[in-house]
Amino acid sequence: MGSFKRKSQEFSNEDDIPPSKQLKQNDLLGADEPVTCLHDVSYPEGYVPSASTSGLPQQDSKPAKEFPFPLDPFQSEAINCINNGESVMVSAHTSAGKTVVALYAIALSLKNNQRVVYTSPIKALSNQKYREFKEEFSDVGLMTGDVTIDPNASCLVMTTEIWRSMQYKGSEVTREVAWVIFDEVHYMRDRERGVVWEESIVMAPKNSNFVFLSATVPNAKEFADWVAKVHQQPCHIVYTDYRPTPLQHYIFPSGGDGLYLVVDDKGKFREDSFQKALNALVPANEGDKKRENSKWQKGLVVGKSGENSDIFKMVKMIIQRQYDPVICFSFSKRECEFLAMQMSKMDLNNDDEKVNIETIFWSAMDMLSDDDKKLPQVSNMLPLLKRGIGVHHSGLLPILKEVIEILFQEGFIKCLFATETFSIGLNMPAKTVVFTNVRKFDGDKFRWLSSGEYIQMSGRAGRRGIDDRGICILMVDEKLEPSTAKFMLKGSADALNSAFHLSYNMLLNQIRSEDGHPENLLRNSFYQFQADRALPDLEKQAKILEEERNSIVIEEEDSLERYYNLLEQYKSLKRDVRGIVFSPKYCLPFLQPGRLVCIECTKVDVDPNFSLSEEVTWGVIVNFERVKGISEDDANKKPEDANYTVDVLTRCIVQKDEVGRKTIKVVRLKDAGEPAVVSLPLSQIDSLSSVRLVIPKDLLPSEVRENALKKVSEVLNRFSKEGMPLLHPEDDMKVQSSSYRKASSRIEALESLFEEYEIAKSPLIKEKLKVLHKKKELTSKIKSIKRTLRTSTVLAFKDELKARKRALRRLGYIKDDVVLQKGKVASEISSADELTLTELMLNGTFRNIKVEDMVSLLSCFVWQEKLQDAQKPREELGLLFAQLQDTAQQVAKVQLESKVQIDVENFVSSFRPDIMEAVYAWAKGSKFYEIMEMTPVFEGSLIRAIRRLEEVLQQLIQAAKSIGDIVLEAKFEEAVTKIKRDIVFAASLYL
Amino acid sequence: MRGIQLSFSNTQKLRLEKALAQLESFSSKLNSNATVIVADKIPVDEDAALKGHGTLEMGNDVVASVCGVVERVNKLVYVRPLRARYKPEIGDIIVGRVIEVAPKRWRLEINFSQDAVLMLSSMNLPDGIQRRRTAVDELNMRSIFVENDVICAEVRGFQHDGSLHLQARSQKYGKLERGKLLKIPPYLVKRRKQHFHHLDQYGVDLIFGCNGLIWVGEHIDVKDVMVEDQVNKSDPQNTHSSSLPGSSEEPTDTPLEIRQYICRIANAITVFSALGFMVNLDSIMETVTLSLSLNLGVHEMLEAEFHVRVAEQEAERRSTSKRRR
Repeated sequence: MGSFKRKSQEFSNEDDIPPSKQLKQNDLLGADEPVTCLHDVSYPEGYVPSASTSGLPQQDSKPAKEFPFPLDPFQSEAINCINNGESVMVSAHTSAGKTVVALYAIALSLKNNQRVVYTSPIKALSNQKYREFKEEFSDVGLMTGDVTIDPNASCLVMTTEIWRSMQYKGSEVTREVAWVIFDEVHYMRDRERGVVWEESIVMAPKNSNFVFLSATVPNAKEFADWVAKVHQQPCHIVYTDYRPTPLQHYIFPSGGDGLYLVVDDKGKFREDSFQKALNALVPANEGDKKRENSKWQKGLVVGKSGENSDIFKMVKMIIQRQYDPVICFSFSKRECEFLAMQMSKMDLNNDDEKVNIETIFWSAMDMLSDDDKKLPQVSNMLPLLKRGIGVHHSGLLPILKEVIEILFQEGFIKCLFATETFSIGLNMPAKTVVFTNVRKFDGDKFRWLSSGEYIQMSGRAGRRGIDDRGICILMVDEKLEPSTAKFMLKGSADALNSAFHLSYNMLLNQIRSEDGHPENLLRNSFYQFQADRALPDLEKQAKILEEERNSIVIEEEDSLERYYNLLEQYKSLKRDVRGIVFSPKYCLPFLQPGRLVCIECTKVDVDPNFSLSEEVTWGVIVNFERVKGISEDDANKKPEDANYTVDVLTRCIVQKDEVGRKTIKVVRLKDAGEPAVVSLPLSQIDSLSSVRLVIPKDLLPSEVRENALKKVSEVLNRFSKEGMPLLHPEDDMKVQSSSYRKASSRIEALESLFEEYEIAKSPLIKEKLKVLHKKKELTSKIKSIKRTLRTSTVLAFKDELKARKRALRRLGYIKDDVVLQKGKVASEISSADELTLTELMLNGTFRNIKVEDMVSLLSCFVWQEKLQDAQKPREELGLLFAQLQDTAQQVAKVQLESKVQIDVENFVSSFRPDIMEAVYAWAKGSKFYEIMEMTPVFEGSLIRAIRRLEEVLQQLIQAAKSIGDIVLEAKFEEAVTKIKRDIVFAASLYL
Repeated sequence: MRGIQLSFSNTQKLRLEKALAQLESFSSKLNSNATVIVADKIPVDEDAALKGHGTLEMGNDVVASVCGVVERVNKLVYVRPLRARYKPEIGDIIVGRVIEVAPKRWRLEINFSQDAVLMLSSMNLPDGIQRRRTAVDELNMRSIFVENDVICAEVRGFQHDGSLHLQARSQKYGKLERGKLLKIPPYLVKRRKQHFHHLDQYGVDLIFGCNGLIWVGEHIDVKDVMVEDQVNKSDPQNTHSSSLPGSSEEPTDTPLEIRQYICRIANAITVFSALGFMVNLDSIMETVTLSLSLNLGVHEMLEAEFHVRVAEQEAERRSTSKRRR
């Protein structure tokens, strides 16, 4: 019953806090420290912190774990929340020490005999955390796709994907877990994998609590609100910007030879030294500007190498100033290696250290076979490491990567060249962080680093307790605007936005379980939550508009409204008639130069005109011409159908705005303005007169135009009594159209109706109509807002869900929301494209091919990198691949027919045959160095692919079980034993 | 006559035969030549075919190992058995009876060739708290289920040793009380999205277990766990029993009216299974409505006349749905 009491304590604590948003600046715990953190709580709607339980006695408040060092405010704040048994989201920089919070949650769970699950986004990180926790607590297990250690332990470290599939399968862990710790939860914005976090959080057991550890995100509150809503429990937010060691940001201009401090450790941006840095950049660049321009994306300083290169100078300077150890981030694996190679002349270690490094290195490599020890990557790495230089990227053998991490932590590596992946996970700080580039290739283009990325990577600078400040150096090789730089250096962290998307595996798993509804998952997703967020704003807007509308009171509104409607009708009829009469078909013959024409004045204000007649003026036709369309076939159009403009000489006001764009307003003849020829669309013609003037040919001099207009005025004066003689549509222009006749008779009828309106005679009629018009506009605005309100309360992804379900039905995976045989197969497959693989399997493709061929074919499902010059697989394998492409084509086609948004071409070409040969050889039993010679890929990438392949095979074994084909099941099992060997599956050093 | 043990009058016999013949005509003729008996060869076009459940490879031939209908999905060939024993699939909702309380587990009779196992850890603790099971929990297992309790659960899967494991994902699984358990041939229950049904108008819960055990009982609200926690806190002694759905401490007995509805629905299902019709919610509800509109007493539903009426109604229903298609 202890847990009840614990709960009651939490409630009593809350009694003095109103169940609303509350914000407190926490300075109770660290009054003498300048460090603060923000603490905020999200309550679910309608949550009452229960009064009935407040009377119970408090439990002993002995902490579950005590730490040998004083806690930072944000840490103790978060631990308080955990002690109260409430979920907490901790948002802080990488180096701030979030792990302490996780450790405490684990300790508490173990103390209460509860299970705790710790999930991280990356297998390597899970391994490291497993080791860390294992040292701290003994009862720890690990589950990743690769290894499973002690799955019955109380504390389970796993990847988020594993946790998700455990929840789908209803593992008993889900009934025993009290705390779920999501590390690096900001991974949720990952385009591909982010959805896994959302699924896991939505499906998490109802009574468990959560600890979310995340990098600094500005919308942590929003995230907590979501968790509170989905799980109906309060969720705390502890946010801190605090860095244990302050940072100084420098710029190193390419070609220059000095550092410029741009942001000091107080966080002030120094404009002047920033400018100086940029000035230093220009002259250095001029010499080889051309080369730089054409090849700037190849990384910094192409062509120069060795001691002259910027990076060499930089590292040398860092060592001289004793800013080491240093991490140099670059954004591609190749660049990383290239830069490390330029350091070949540098030696940063003494002989003792060299001996140590060699011992550590070989004892780690001991688990490899002799052949594998001779791999070029292994043998090339050691000399580099001995000199204190390291490389760390995903293309390395996992074991090498781990050795380098260990060496770095031990301080044997003074200068590490790493990719972005090094910036997440375990605490591996350096004194200095260098950005070798400020631009990054993100799939289709180069862009500036985002401030969020910058924050994450610069978080590695400054070792707590050793350095009094961390140093960040930006190597800039292009002009960058101070604003861009400021944004990057001082900008806020990236917001945590949902990257939710649907997958077939997700749908099948949801449909399959009795409680699961895909709709439910969608409704509870963070995506939906963020969409719903916008609603209150819209509602408020609608309300304001409604109030405004209601405040407008008009006398005799009813009759006015009738009059208004009548006017509208009349005007639209007039428009119709004009549209008919001045269609090119009828009016072209009459657009001769010199004809007097009545045109509409350009409307000055936006307010519509309510008099019966439009404001018109007169002009003289000069010419007319066809509007040239963009498309070619315009020329083929009949003359009647094309668009025309008429050039009319009339009085205008010509204005030039600051950009130099001319705006021309047509005004009345009597008004001030200059005579000008304007091009008008036919629709602006009000009527044509039967009078024609002789106009001079050359209209360029302004006096000529002025004279012509004067003539127009004279004519107008002459006819002022009886009115201008107009061309009659039927008699003169031979307009023969029944719709014209109908419309014109209705106009007449309407004109007689106007007489009956008393209200029309009121002197204020114009103003009144204007007011009414405004009211009408407001009403329509409100309507449109309400429409968007309605559509956004509808489920996001609803259409896609429908389409995807349709596709599943057509392919025979589900029927009436019941998962069929095929669907059960597909629901087992989560590490590869489930539909294509299921089809391939059920088409019997795997049945009659050799195990090696099968493994080779499956490799296409796990390899995503594009290789330019990959060799084509040999014929038998090529045939198999063609089968795969056929199947993929069909699957994509069905999806397309079911209205799923999919690019068939792209989908089919997402299966890459590039490593088929290598995997075939591996399954045949080749050595790793042999298969490395067959493909130009990185060792680490190949190993990752084969490991993922094994994951797929395990899932296929389950799938074969579910259809009852024993032979196939045995085949998959054989495949697993064939590929699971040697260096590819070498155990992690952390285990 | 489908082995119905009833004495029909001659006219009733004729009417029933007519209705059944009509029904037979609706069933698709497509599969009629695909029916096999044990050891029948199944024609397979090439040897790339996948041999699924109910098939065996004998030399170069594929033969059926059960009587049933040959089904093909792409290249997968399997035999869907007719009138077979229940065969569990992952995710099935089943109703079973506890036959033994063993260490950390309950053993359940579920109409399968072996007993199923429900682990203590696969069951939500009565107080709804997430934690590891302790020895105390193990001692208290009898306060959750004892022998002969009827419970409903979900099939979780086969363990490596071949034993069948169950689980109770949420509060709606668990002990079933105040109702009636029916046993019908499992092939008459089709797998559906929903197996739990709450019949609001009758105040009755209906659970179609995929294993042919059907539960008809008084409706019980699945209480929200969070609310429950607070209510029970003041009275910790009772937490074990009171939070279980359908606990015995509720003051009132099941009202007579609901009892009658329970029997009426149960009889409707009995009639359906006697006639050999697939049992589903809509047709059962129609049958109940029919019995009510005929003003039949509960016991009269089991008489010959009602069987004939149900058969006729079913024939009518299917012919209209056929025509609509």
